[in-house]
Amino acid sequence: MAVNPLPAKNILSRYTAKGFSHPIWAARADRLQSASGVLLGLFLIMHLHFESSILLGKEAFYQVAQFLEGGIFSETGHGFPILTQIFSVVMLLVVLIHAVFALRRFPTQIGQWRALRQQMKFLPHEDTKIWFWQMISGFLLFFLVPVHLFTMITNPEIGPHLSAERVVYQNAWVLYVLLLPAVTIHAIFGLYRVSVKWGLVTQRFALLKLAKVMLAYLMVLGVASLVAYIIIGRSLSLPVVPFVPGL
Amino acid sequence: MSQARQLTFSIFRYDPQDPNDKPQMVNYYITETPGMTVFIALNKIRETQDPSLQFDFVCRAGICGSCAMVINGKPTLACRTLTANFPSAEMSLMPLPGFELIGDLSVNTGKFMRELAERLQLWLQPNDTDMDIHRIEAPMAPEEAAKLYELERCVECGVCVSACATKQMRDTFVGAVGLMKIARFELDSRDSRTSDDFYHVIGNQDGVFGCMTLLGCQDACPKDLPHMQQIAYLRRKMSISVTNII
Repeated sequence: MAVNPLPAKNILSRYTAKGFSHPIWAARADRLQSASGVLLGLFLIMHLHFESSILLGKEAFYQVAQFLEGGIFSETGHGFPILTQIFSVVMLLVVLIHAVFALRRFPTQIGQWRALRQQMKFLPHEDTKIWFWQMISGFLLFFLVPVHLFTMITNPEIGPHLSAERVVYQNAWVLYVLLLPAVTIHAIFGLYRVSVKWGLVTQRFALLKLAKVMLAYLMVLGVASLVAYIIIGRSLSLPVVPFVPGL
Repeated sequence: MSQARQLTFSIFRYDPQDPNDKPQMVNYYITETPGMTVFIALNKIRETQDPSLQFDFVCRAGICGSCAMVINGKPTLACRTLTANFPSAEMSLMPLPGFELIGDLSVNTGKFMRELAERLQLWLQPNDTDMDIHRIEAPMAPEEAAKLYELERCVECGVCVSACATKQMRDTFVGAVGLMKIARFELDSRDSRTSDDFYHVIGNQDGVFGCMTLLGCQDACPKDLPHMQQIAYLRRKMSISVTNII
């Protein structure tokens, strides 16, 4: 490239600053945002399925929770709640990475916000609208997800009765009512966007349709489980006794 | 068609050169003819009703890219938009946002495209240093030529820039047209620039990593260019560029 030195070299020299302003971080940021997002999205899909095992009865949920807490490695068959705590800390770190890199995308100036709203009004476009709602839900999740994770770190007991107690008597249902729509919308459309963004699929409209079906399915699953926990919670008398299988 | 429809065009009128002028929407009424495009309708209005109406056109066949405007909330080419596709017979015409307004529906896309080309160096930078014009050119594989031709179809109408909310929010973002053209030279075996060189130009928040995949470009492009695939290709290419392993 000695013959044709790019004028962009000037642009490069503007970024001589070390740290995150180095252009190398542009690629890294995009990769880390996508990778952490995929991790969180896939985790959410599994998470919603595991917790919805309550729909198959208390026994099913008890077995799932014990299995995930490593029950097969303990002599009593009961798991180790500390696994939940460790896992929650790890997820909190992933969420933080995702938030740090996703925040670049937020309109930080009032002018940018106005330009976005103006554009959406002036030129209505589905994917832009989807992104807008992803941004809004992302903003909400920035506050809601840490609450959920801190609850699991400080209070990791999971079980048909203990979880139901949390939902009903500790009013976690308020959190879940807000969290469920925000997180499913953000995760499902995020997975859709990351697939088209890196060119993993070419059938974009088929994928978008699939994403909407998934969204509806996960919402139904989530709402049904939440209702199940509320019903169980209301049937319990205080103080709540942990569920014992076979009774 | 038994009875010709009466079309209503609500057209944005503003002359930025005139300090007393204010932006406004003005209604024009004309009778639809078979096969009428918005471009034909505009010419009719200018001929028969208002000679001061400003809009751009050259080829009237979707090749020059001059007549791009926002028709009922969708940026597209006026010459390729049939009035018959609008059942309500009412159309609002606005100039493309994101460009310097010359007047009414006319915007200065040329200035934008030229600045973009200079900024990104959107021309072939050949491999060989000896500039002997008598030498026979190296042959190119037909598959490669076809790929390049596909991307060369861009008419620089500016629709992708207007349809991009990212571009509207961040003025320095290169937009789909710039990335599309970079992809074209990246694919060209005659071009000497490496991934590294391209990374210096578009490997930043104003380039391919600033794109948020809102896909307005993909959905609005009147030439149906593969913006989504090309930007994804560049993103992957730039992301695995050698200097740049995590």
